[in-house]
Amino acid sequence: MAVFAVYPLLQLAWMSVHDVTQATLNQGGWDFVAWDNFLRGFTAGESPAAIVRTLVVVCIVTVAGMLLGLAVAIALRTKGWWSAALLALMVFVWALPPVVNGSVWKFLLAESGLVNTLLGFIGISPVPFLYDPQWALISVASVAAFAVIPFNALVFRAALMAIPPEIFEAAAVDGATRFQEIRHIMLPAVRGTTLVLFVLTVVYGFRSFDFIYVMTFGGPGTATATLPFLGYLQAFNRYDYGLGSATSFLAVVGVLVLAGVYARTIGKEERS
Amino acid sequence: MNTSAGPVAILTKLFFTLLYGVPMVWIVLTSFKRSSDVFDPSAAFVFEPTVQAYTRNLNSNLFDALQQSVSIAVGTTALVLLIAVPAAYALARVAHWSVTLGLVALIVLQMMPQTALVIPLFRHFGQWGLLDSLTGVIIADTALLAPFATLLLRPFFRAVPMSLEESGSLDGAGMFRTFWSIVLPLARNGVLTVGSITFLLAWGEFLYAVSFMLSPGGYPLSALLAQQVSAFGIDWPGLMALAVLTSIPILIVFVSSYRLLRDGLTVGAVK
Repeated sequence: MAVFAVYPLLQLAWMSVHDVTQATLNQGGWDFVAWDNFLRGFTAGESPAAIVRTLVVVCIVTVAGMLLGLAVAIALRTKGWWSAALLALMVFVWALPPVVNGSVWKFLLAESGLVNTLLGFIGISPVPFLYDPQWALISVASVAAFAVIPFNALVFRAALMAIPPEIFEAAAVDGATRFQEIRHIMLPAVRGTTLVLFVLTVVYGFRSFDFIYVMTFGGPGTATATLPFLGYLQAFNRYDYGLGSATSFLAVVGVLVLAGVYARTIGKEERS
Repeated sequence: MNTSAGPVAILTKLFFTLLYGVPMVWIVLTSFKRSSDVFDPSAAFVFEPTVQAYTRNLNSNLFDALQQSVSIAVGTTALVLLIAVPAAYALARVAHWSVTLGLVALIVLQMMPQTALVIPLFRHFGQWGLLDSLTGVIIADTALLAPFATLLLRPFFRAVPMSLEESGSLDGAGMFRTFWSIVLPLARNGVLTVGSITFLLAWGEFLYAVSFMLSPGGYPLSALLAQQVSAFGIDWPGLMALAVLTSIPILIVFVSSYRLLRDGLTVGAVK
């Protein structure tokens, strides 16, 4: 496992400080260029722009994924066939390949797709969801959030189900409203889960590329090329493997930082 | 307990039912439309159904892709379990500082962006002659999913009481025998859960397949779909039919493992 998982990362670091192109990929003896690949990424303005886009995606995915995931978990506490069916539906959508979800949303968000048709009924002119640089970034991030909400809802649901029913009974006796139940019973109960899930969702948003690949392929221009996707584009579309490795290496460093935060969060949770 | 649905809960449920239900209905409806009806609002729900999109797709390419998908998903699942089961058991039972180190390493590996790993792997597979081969994709998918599978499986082994194993060894069973006939049956649900998720993820994986398979002839369904959806001038009914066909195996796995997924997914993911 170490050979196929750790060694590629070392290789990536090695490639990021060398000049590697299509012609030289399969030969040894690459020219050592030190920080040149990283500098090229920054001076051309591609890396900083990609970092900003990555942060936008992470924010949208995390805020929507956490809040809506919790909202679903709370709404699904009610018994009955509807809650059970909705949960099953959402887990099924989560289990679908990202290419399928991405294709469907590319279709729904098309210029004359379902979403724009519905907006037309209430008198809103078509929105260029995938053709406008800003809208495109919001769109791919929203679909990534759409795909992670079911998972987050499941995790929150498990935490809510661990609350002893007596607590709710006691609250009902005291005449607590639903809002008070959420505020004073459910939110404190999911606190530990929230911390860990928060980091997981940030990581998911950070490394997410499937929907970008399927819906926009980084476009229009490079408007939806987040850091991990930009590295892929540079390597496999422009055949500049050195530059792509440097960009991807930045993404790896970002993940290492997040992993550190995650390990600390888990450590704290297990101690408390 | 207050389990009756209030108006807010009903509205929330309605919103999410539409948000997750409509896209599913829409894929299936579109896959039975003619290209000319796709963006025609008057033909949104009332249209003359046709299976043209399916018959256009049903050719030898599709069966080749299906075969590739099955080989990749089954091969990856088997290989991942072969690695993750002993690894998770060891990480659950051994008490040593190196276990913490191993867990941290797995967490980091599980978080690595796949787009970063694909570049060095592409070069190595070129050197080792693994490009354009099923073996290459299976190995890459296994390396991608084994850390996650191990982490997810570990709590299931931890839940098996140590005393059962001790009584096993008192009765003279060796370590392997104890594991095989006492621990593994008790952790069955965990193995099934992890197996199902690995299958689902391997079935949907497309980046390695697109990158390591040098021609579309070797693509699995997921990669075929990814290739067609990023092409210009998309044939939407054809694409949606392909999406439906790609999702049918997922539906089968989902129906047979839903309870496991619902209850087992949350065990290892957050701890």
